[in-house]
Parts: sequence; C-alpha cells; structure tokens
Amino acid sequence: MTRYLSLYWLFLTQRLKVLMEYRANFIIGALSTIALQASSILAIWVVMRQVPDLNGWTYDEILLVYGLITLAKSINHMFADNLWTLGRQYIRSGGFDRFLVRPIDPLFHLLADRFCQDGVGNFLVGVALVVKASVALGIQWTLLKALMLVAAVVSGGGIFIALNLLTCVTSFWIVDSVPVTRLVFDNHLFAQYPLTIYPKAINILLTWIVPYGLASFYPASYLLDRSLGNLAWAAPVAAALLLFLGYRFWQFGLKHYGSTGT
Amino acid sequence: MRALRRDLSIYLSIFGMTPKVFMAYQLWFWIGLVLNTIGMAILVFFWRAVYADTDSVAALSLQQTLTYILLAQIFFPLTDVDLIFDFGFNLREGNIIHFLLRPINFQGMYYVQNLSSLMMRLILQIPIAVVATLLFGLQWPTDPATWGAFAVSALLGFTALFFFHWFLACLTFYTTEVWGLGVLIFGMSLFLSGSLVPLTMMPGWLQTVVLSIPFAQAIAVPVSLLTGITPLIQAPLVWLTQLAWVTGMWLVSALFFRVAVRKVTVQGG
Amino acid sequence: MSVIEVENLTKVFKIPQKDPGLGGAIKGLFAPRFQSKTAVDRINFRLDRGEIVGYIGVNGAGKSTTIKMLTGVLMPTGGSIRVLGRDPHRQRIDNAREIGVVFGQRTQLWWDLALIESLNLIARMYDVPPARYKQMLDEFSQTLDLGSLLKVPVRNMSLGQKMRSELAAALIHEPKVVYLDEPTIGLDLIVKERIRDFIKAECGSKGMTVMLTTHDLGDIEQLCRRVIIIDEGRVIYDGPIETIKKKFGKFREITFETTGLVPSLSLPPGCELLSTGDRKVTLRFDRIQTTASQVASAVMKQIEVRDFSLSEPDLANIVKQIYNGALDNGGVEPEAADARPAP
Ligand SMILES: Nc1ncnc2c1ncn2[C@@H]1O[C@H](COP(=O)(O)OP(=O)(O)OP(=O)(O)O)[C@@H](O)[C@H]1O
Ligand SMILES: [Mg+2]
Repeated sequence: MTRYLSLYWLFLTQRLKVLMEYRANFIIGALSTIALQASSILAIWVVMRQVPDLNGWTYDEILLVYGLITLAKSINHMFADNLWTLGRQYIRSGGFDRFLVRPIDPLFHLLADRFCQDGVGNFLVGVALVVKASVALGIQWTLLKALMLVAAVVSGGGIFIALNLLTCVTSFWIVDSVPVTRLVFDNHLFAQYPLTIYPKAINILLTWIVPYGLASFYPASYLLDRSLGNLAWAAPVAAALLLFLGYRFWQFGLKHYGSTGT
Repeated sequence: MRALRRDLSIYLSIFGMTPKVFMAYQLWFWIGLVLNTIGMAILVFFWRAVYADTDSVAALSLQQTLTYILLAQIFFPLTDVDLIFDFGFNLREGNIIHFLLRPINFQGMYYVQNLSSLMMRLILQIPIAVVATLLFGLQWPTDPATWGAFAVSALLGFTALFFFHWFLACLTFYTTEVWGLGVLIFGMSLFLSGSLVPLTMMPGWLQTVVLSIPFAQAIAVPVSLLTGITPLIQAPLVWLTQLAWVTGMWLVSALFFRVAVRKVTVQGG
Repeated sequence: MSVIEVENLTKVFKIPQKDPGLGGAIKGLFAPRFQSKTAVDRINFRLDRGEIVGYIGVNGAGKSTTIKMLTGVLMPTGGSIRVLGRDPHRQRIDNAREIGVVFGQRTQLWWDLALIESLNLIARMYDVPPARYKQMLDEFSQTLDLGSLLKVPVRNMSLGQKMRSELAAALIHEPKVVYLDEPTIGLDLIVKERIRDFIKAECGSKGMTVMLTTHDLGDIEQLCRRVIIIDEGRVIYDGPIETIKKKFGKFREITFETTGLVPSLSLPPGCELLSTGDRKVTLRFDRIQTTASQVASAVMKQIEVRDFSLSEPDLANIVKQIYNGALDNGGVEPEAADARPAP
C-alpha cells in the first residue's frame, strides 16, 4: 500500500513536470473546465434573477447542489480520467501490454499514468460554489455535517470512478468504449439540479441505478436539513459496492484480454 | 475560369467525403441521440420548474422559451467547427506540410469541408428534432418567410463563426495541446451562443457582452428570428450586421493565419 | 533446471466475424461468430541459464504471440510454460519482476518525460535499490552512450537513440530473463552493431537468458549459438546456428560494379563466376573454402571496383528449403526432432 502511494506520488510529480513544461496547456486545461462550468452557472444565475426559487430551491441552494456534483466529478476527472482513453490509447495501439509486463497492478498503472490537470479547474469551481453557498445560506456546520461533506465528495468521486470503470472495461471487447461511457456518464448532468424538478422515473434512475444523486442532491438536502437528506448516508455504501463491482469487471476484462490480445 | 472549375470540383469531392466518414460512426449516432435527449430533458424540466409559479419571464411564455431552447439545441451544430482539433492534429502529426503544399486555397477548402459537415450534422439532427417534437412538445414555426430569414441568418452566422474559429485555431500554432483549447472554446460557446438562455432574459450589460462576441451570431441571432422573438421586419438589419461580422472576422483570421504559419515547427520525425 | 520450459504451447485466436452496420454489430454482440486462427501450434523448447536464443520466422509466423505468452501478457490456449518455475500468466506480477522486455515496435517509455525520469519511475517500480540504480545508470551511460540522452524527452529522440533507451529501460533492474522482440527494427548498420555488442556484453556477463526475435539474420549470427525457427506456429528447426549456416550459408553471392569493362578474371579456389554484364560481375563463393575479403581483394587487384554488394541468405528462402527437406538427411539435431509436433 505504501509502495503504491509512493509510486503514485512519483508518477504525479513526473506528470507535473511535464505539465510545467507545457505551462500554457496546463492553464488552458484548467480554464477550459472552468469555462464549461461558468457557462452553466451563468445560465442559472440569469434565470434565477427572474424567479424567486426553483421548486422551493433558491439560487444559493442550487449552487450547493451544483457545487457538490462538480467536486465529486473533479475527483474522477483528476485521478481517473485515463479510463476514458483505455481503448483508444492503450488497447488499440497495443500499449496496454507494457502495463502487463510490469510488476505492479495494471489498473493502478493506468490510473497513475496520467493525472488530469483539467480536473483541477472543476475542483476549484466546486470548492468556490460550496463555500459561496455555505456562506450565503449561513449553514451551521456541525461535526456530522462536515463529515457528510467529506463523505459526499469522496464517495461521489467513487461513484463517478466506478461507473466509468464499469463502462470503460468494455473496451476490452469493443474497439471504442467512449460512447458507452458517455451514455452512463452524461446522466450526472441531471444531478446538477435538485432532483425534485424531475419526474419520478428520473429520480429513481439517479438514486438507485446511476446514483449520481447521492453525490449532490441528497447530501445538499442533508446539509440544508431538508427531507430525504438522510439518504445521503447511502453514498459511501453505493460507492463501495460499485467500486467492488467495477474492479471485478475489470479483472474479468483483463482475463478476456489475456486470451485474445489485440 | 478553368482554375475555378478545377477548384470547384475539388471542393465538391471534399464535400462528398464527409458523409462517408460520418456513416462510419453509427454507434455514435444512436448514442448521440440518447445524449441529446438527456440534455434536452434536463433543459425542459428545468424550465418547467422555472415557470412553475409564473406565466412569463422577461415577457416570454413557457412555450416561447421552450421553443427557443429546443430549436437552439437542434441547430446547435451551427456552432460546431472542427478547426481546432484538425489544426492541432495536423500540426502534431506533421501533416500540416502536406496541406501547405497543396495547390488549393487552404481556408476555402476547410470552409467547404465544414459547410458539408454542417449539412450532414443538421440532417443527423432530424431524429433529435423528432424527439423534441414528440417528447417535449416543440411547436415548429410555420411561416415560410421566417424560415427564409432564419436560413440566411444561420448561414451568415455560421460563416462568421467559421472565421472566428479559424482565428482561434491559429492559436494551436503556439500551444501544443489542443484538447483544452477546444473544451475552453466549447465551454464559452455554450453560454455565449445563447443556447442555454434566451438573450432577452439577460441583464442589459450581459446582452451587450454576448452580442459583441461572434458565438451569438450562429445561434441566438438566427433562432430569435425563427421563433419570432426578433420581429421579421428587422431581418435585413440583422443580415447586414452579420455581414459586417463575416467581413471583419475574415480579415482578422486571414491576417492571424499569415503570422501564425511562420511559427510552424513540424514535430516528430 | 531450465530457465524457460515450454511444453505443447498453443495459442488459438478467435477472430470475431463482423457483419457490417448496426444490425451486424448488435447481432455480433449476442450471437458472435468466430473464425479460429492457430498462431502458435504445440511448440516445445527449453532454454537454460545464460543462453541467447534466436527465435525466427517469417511475418505472421507466431513469434510475437509466443513472446506475449512467455511474458504473461497472453494466456495460452493449451500447453504449459514455466519461467523460473512460475506460470507467467497466473503469477504475472511475480514473473514481471524477473523479466525484461523490449517490444521493438512500441515504446515502454513515457513520451513526454526526459529519459532519466522514465528510468527513475521504472527503477522504483521494480524496487531497484538506489545505490544499485546509480551504478547501473553509470554503466549504461558508458555502454549505451546514454550520457547525453538522459535529459532528452523520448519524443525528441531518433529511432536509434530510442532503441538504446528502450534497452536501458528493459535491463535497468537486471532481469534474469530478457525477451527482445525485434530490437533492431529500422536501425542502420552502425546502431545495430552497437546494440548487438551491448546485448552480448550485458547479457553475457550477467548470465541472463535471452530470447531474441528478429528478421535480421545478422543479429542472430552475431549473438546466438542456437536458433529456433518457427513457421505457421510450429517449430521447424531447433538447433545450433552452425547447421543453418553450413547448410544455407555455405554459398554467398557477391556482385561487383566496375568502372571499366570486365576482363576475364582469375578467381581464388571455392569461387566461381555466375554472370558478367556490362560493368558488372557476379560471383558465388563457398564460405568454407574462402572468405568475402579474399574474393574481394583478389578481384580488386585485377579491376577497378566502383562498388560491391554481398547478398545474405534470405529467411523465407531458408524456410522454403527446410520444407523441401534440406535438413532431412543429416542436419537436424535430435532435440529438434523432438520438438516437432506429433502427427
Ligand atoms: N490479437 C490477435 N487476434 C487475432 N489474431 C492475431 C492476434 N495477434 C496475432 N494474431 C495472428 O497470429 C499470427 C501470428 O502473429 P504474430 O504477431 O505472433 O507473428 P510474428 O511472427 O510476430 O510476425 P511479425 O514478424 O510480422 O512480427 C498472425 O497470423 C496474426 O494475424
Ligand atoms: Mg512480431
């Protein structure tokens, strides 16, 4: 474990060196995600100037929801973005073999191979939104609430990573897994807003099937002492379960790769 | 004259190639449909919630707003210009040399290519239009005159945006990673094109800002004409403004390209 | 005990048959149809400690597939492999610690990192003790002339520089077993020579067991005492390179381009005239009786030579001749006879 941590650190510092070499790209990368988020947030701002609330959620409350999902997403974006490229950059080119002749876990190697700087932009946006919302709403922070915040972000990140893992592993069978991953991943966009604005089916989808809601709407409800908030404690369980399934599926895919190659 | 004919025939064959490339991505097509449906669903439910307690926002009814938003989604390909990834890719692979060596106007070639892609993309939006109509109750404008005004405005807006993208793509001569630049521009265009919120809902200063950046020319301006938010009477004025945009952007982009191309260093061996 | 033991090793690829279009893709998802392709077919061999063995065959013969199975990347369809007593696929990570691999066609270095950074990472991955790592770096700076390359990112390297770096990366942890899949592909003669010398010195002195695939018979001649030739996944020869050389390398052709017209030449023994053209003469000589330099100097004494070239025996040709029974009366070593799959 410590060996992997110190290896990760080494990978990370190397990656940062490369990024520093391409400083312009680093800044553009971080800015790009900020711009993407700014577009949506600006739109929310414009609209919420016109109406007092959205299904009982005020502007700042919506920002809290939006900020939480952005933080969870940024965890995935920073540390697991390389999953997206598994098929295109590693399997198709045969570069994946290089992971298999090394004495470390190939999944670890894949994730450590590229820390994604663009995620830093998301992280900053998420932090800014949560802080802004918390101040504006005057949230009374208790130990439990602080714990919930951390749990929501970490397990939210876990949910993102696990769902991406589950879908990216398909690149062991199909040439390009990106469409499949997008199909699941894009559902997180629903969770940028309070789930109460959607019909029941979408609520069920976002809570029980692709549980991005557990990373934003439910913890936000908890922090705001709203109903349904306690469901947020399910997030760590869901994350652990999905990560377990994801890793098993990864191993299954790896076995398949071992028998077919590229 | 013969040279023009030859150029045209080259352009024509470039025009014809794009659909074939698209057809190779069938899976993407279906999944794109689902992704678009998700995107539209979020917008529609969001706006329904906005209008839950009120009949009009900034003088627009729910139906008007939804028509605007859904049409903006359907015509969103108007903002889709591939230049940045294309430039970046060709620069990195060293292919840029081949392009610079070809005996044909580089910008003209790309314009035709992108126009062809646009047609193709718009055709591929038909299923999305169907979903918008059946699932989300999009009401289509029926007046042929507005459609005509829209078509002219859309083409002008797209052209202005093409030149603007050309200008931005020249930045790839200076930065090596293009992905971030592409996402940055996409991110900005999302809001600045006016596809998320009708311009009339924005505070005055924001409208000014949005209208002084070319993205809005391709979505907000033509779609406002189409939905009647901008009265038809004003169409000629709108076109003239857009024409000015096209000219300005063309000059700026051609100039920057000339400067940037001197930077070409061909990577890889 | 042998370092590598391979018994009846077989790999069958199932290649999915795709129908065009989305319908075909969906059908393929639920009721896939496969075509089988036997890339490696019941091969047997053993490699002892310190052996450097050439593994050769024409394109698509199954060399890379074998190497992938030996390294643990691919799982065999049948048969068994033991590398240092382990099953490389089941005990992949343990096995990986002991082996070094170069896939000549692709890099294992980080494209954007300076070579030294890549090597640092790799050394850490293999838990090379820092002191030892430093020693190795110094050694490679000498033997591979890496000194000036350490700070250069791989993307800015020439092919030859890249390959030298690859070798350093594959050997920095002093593996016991080394697999080199086409390590000289695309390199010019001088770089090739240097890489051969390095492999010979480095692997020889440390008693590494090396398996080398290549299309360049020169590599084999210089590095290996033993070759295994495979074709369509089967071993068709396993034995000393000498036999192959004697059988197929006995004669060489040498062509001279001359400045003037070719007079009648007097030739050393073991050498005969094949053809004369306008300012061109082709000779064939027996390498046991004479050498290229003897032939060349004899000719050069008599005429002014503008250029000359020597043609190597070509692998595809050798394979064809083996099939035609070139080795049947005599040449084949007993172990090679064993290696042949039972009918
Ligand atoms: N992943 C795969 N799936 C299906 N068939 C494969 C796969 N990999 C290799 N093959 C087939 O197996 C056969 C042996 O391939 P292999 O790569 O081992 O040849 P090779 O001897 O290394 O050839 P070369 O000299 O060209 O590198 C070939 O016919 C190839 O098409
Ligand atoms: Mg090969």
